[in-house]
Amino acid sequence: MENGTITYTQLLREDLGIFRVTPDDGVPDFKAGQFLTLGLPLESKIVNRAYSIASSPENKEYVEFVIRWVRKPLPGRLTSLLFNAKEGDKISWAKPAGNLTINDTLPNGEKDTRRIVCIGGGTGLAPFVSFAQHLHDTNDKREIVILHGASYVDELSYKQLLTDLENESISKGKDKWNFKYRAAISRPQEWTNRAWHGHKGRIEQFLRSNDSGKSPLEELVGEKITKDNTIFYVCGWQGTIDGVMDYLKAKNFVTEKNKREDGSYEVKFESYG
Amino acid sequence: MAEEIVQQPNYEQLCLDILNSDKNIRFAGFVNDKSKILHSVQRNDLDSLLTENEIGMSIHYTLERWRKAQNFTFRLGKERLTLTEYDNVTLFTIPFKGKLLLVSTEPRIHYDPIIQKVNSVLTDWAK
Repeated sequence: MENGTITYTQLLREDLGIFRVTPDDGVPDFKAGQFLTLGLPLESKIVNRAYSIASSPENKEYVEFVIRWVRKPLPGRLTSLLFNAKEGDKISWAKPAGNLTINDTLPNGEKDTRRIVCIGGGTGLAPFVSFAQHLHDTNDKREIVILHGASYVDELSYKQLLTDLENESISKGKDKWNFKYRAAISRPQEWTNRAWHGHKGRIEQFLRSNDSGKSPLEELVGEKITKDNTIFYVCGWQGTIDGVMDYLKAKNFVTEKNKREDGSYEVKFESYG
Repeated sequence: MAEEIVQQPNYEQLCLDILNSDKNIRFAGFVNDKSKILHSVQRNDLDSLLTENEIGMSIHYTLERWRKAQNFTFRLGKERLTLTEYDNVTLFTIPFKGKLLLVSTEPRIHYDPIIQKVNSVLTDWAK
């Protein structure tokens, strides 16, 4: 394990925080969408856990994470330590890993120009915040859509950043930066969410066709979603993955794990539960 | 994953049984963990102390407290009762079959006997 310092913490809620780690020897090279294993001491041992990186590979100042402190049925050991940690505390980390990374080429070697649709449930948004910043910083011209599902409005952790990226897309023009962001709140009836006027329901409902035969996603992008024009990246609880696949399987989309003989696929996912 | 199926009671009748168990009870209602009021009853001769929006806020605060209390379940066991005394009303909540019972009573009364009566009703319904 390498050494680093926790240089920034921000609690968005009691159980949701943004953490930045500055490695002693500089931010390691990684691909957008990968995770980093962090470690903190507990009772003379080091407790490790992997967290998806939310910052972009181009950011060489720090590595950022958005982390939920799940406490039921039991509080996670490392996450509990992180939520008690102070800026300036030392932390260890292991090299970045993970396969939920952006495809730049197709199996036949051609450039992958398909629309990128990212679906993140809760803190499953993190790899896609990294995607968005990376694709922005590298002037990628592909169309990018980020869909974020949460139970409560105060869980929309990167709403401002992603809204700013969409506003930039509108002002610059889609030919320069083509980005859209939408969120869905699954508990719209709750008092905290009383002022929410965005999409209501589970995030995968963006894929469900309405009476007009189009899904909200298709209405957003202005064309039919097919396996030839779109690749999906999904991160969240297994229930979110399953919900997304229920819609996509019906359209003959296949996952990377079940790719066709020619190596083609249209869905990459990572679940954390 | 198999999900535990819990037989749900007739909340309309259960709320009435609770309301009728003691004349000092002003209100009885059940909410689920998504803030949905399953059913509630209030004494006919009483005006609500809160506006509709404030009732929503009150339920939100109650559920937030309930959810957070569950973070200690692994050490302290299941929550059985929470009680808040205001100047104008006494409120208590009791988890029941995965839902939360909300009860308000007249202020500054001996609430122990009322809680016992309510628990007795719940015990009968749990059979």
